[in-house]
Amino acid sequence: MGPRVRFTAENDLHDYAGTDQDCKKSFEFMYTDRNLETLMTRYQQGDFGAAADLIERISPQLHRFFLAQSQSRTDADDLLQETWLRIHKVRHTYRPGEPALPWFYAIARHVRVDHYRKQIRTAAGERQLEAMSREAEAIPAESDNSANFEALLAPLAESQREVIEMLKVAGMSLEEVARATSSSVGSVKQKAHRAYKKLREVMRATGGRKGQSGEIL
Amino acid sequence: MRDEEIDEVLKAAARAPYGPKPELLKRVADSIKPSLRPVRPLPPNWAITGELVLVCAVVSCAGAARAGFFGFEKMDLLERLLVFPALILFAWLAGREFVHAMIPGSMRLISPGALLGFGSTALLGVFAFLFRDYRTDHFFSVGIVCLLTGFLHAIPAALLGWLLLRRGFAVNSVSAGLIAGVLGGLAGVGVLELHCPNFQASHVLVWHTAVLPLSGAAGALVAWTLRCRPQTRKQESAD
Repeated sequence: MGPRVRFTAENDLHDYAGTDQDCKKSFEFMYTDRNLETLMTRYQQGDFGAAADLIERISPQLHRFFLAQSQSRTDADDLLQETWLRIHKVRHTYRPGEPALPWFYAIARHVRVDHYRKQIRTAAGERQLEAMSREAEAIPAESDNSANFEALLAPLAESQREVIEMLKVAGMSLEEVARATSSSVGSVKQKAHRAYKKLREVMRATGGRKGQSGEIL
Repeated sequence: MRDEEIDEVLKAAARAPYGPKPELLKRVADSIKPSLRPVRPLPPNWAITGELVLVCAVVSCAGAARAGFFGFEKMDLLERLLVFPALILFAWLAGREFVHAMIPGSMRLISPGALLGFGSTALLGVFAFLFRDYRTDHFFSVGIVCLLTGFLHAIPAALLGWLLLRRGFAVNSVSAGLIAGVLGGLAGVGVLELHCPNFQASHVLVWHTAVLPLSGAAGALVAWTLRCRPQTRKQESAD
């Protein structure tokens, strides 16, 4: 993640060629200052601004990650809160300079798995699931895209859904997904390949037509 | 349908019209603010791995010092040069994986199960190459004693290793427990190689090597039990 952001910043700086040197410097500072890894390091140093910035930047991705799995906004909200508490507790385990996104996702994934296990063990699990599905149905019309995305990923196995979500929504690289899921790059590639194969079959079966917002018709 | 088209469909569908509510984000930020203090990041991986290998070596030497270095004294130079470096190498790999298991988002080289499988097979290979006495005198009676001795030394080594990495955070505690068990098991095998003067191939191949899967399984079981316990308690209190 670090090198990728730096590369983008360098490209942007290149576009600035010919402008004032100070302007270039301030742009460079602004860009690197917003880098996830830098924010994470500042968060470790106790900077509340960096923590708030991280919460604002990472939360939508994590929320979407939970939403794709649970299909319930309340659950996704709870899991997001729980993830941030966990992140805060173990923030010292982040190594400065290492990619930050896989670190965040590894913790988020752990929180989700814990929640899933708890749900299975709870005697009232079935009732909760019923409530969740009712809630998912009750999500307002503005969430059409969200529902489409979940419907698209529904036929996939959980591990495949997770990999597709990280690759396509979070925009992580294969190596970053491998880090986040504690697996090898080969295994991630294989899961993505199988997921695409399954999606191709499903889309073919449903006619493969898609609307403007990407929904399968 | 081409992959690019599927990409397009996924990207279009993934554009969420809403994210988490701003009030939720504010609540999260406010909840961490009171306890926001500077933290000391973990030392480098190689340093923690070195400490774990040192723990294994210390437990092995302490165990053998108490019982006597009879095995080491009986070994010839080739046996010493092959057995102990192999154990140290295996301990380094296990320690490295243990560190990675305790740090979220670390790149894993090998899964804990594969590490146990490959490591045990490699050790079996070394033992099979070195020990050519194929008698099976007192196979069970002596063997069980060695297995228990190795396992009993694996426990403190695994606990010390866990203590050393207590600042970490295992995203998969069962897999971390398995590696901690394997690491402890290596300390147990170390004690046996230093102490046990029984060089019968069947004894070394079966009972000495069996310490590794036994302690690995015990580590995974303990971690699994610990992971289930708080949930069971919560469930009981909820009932």
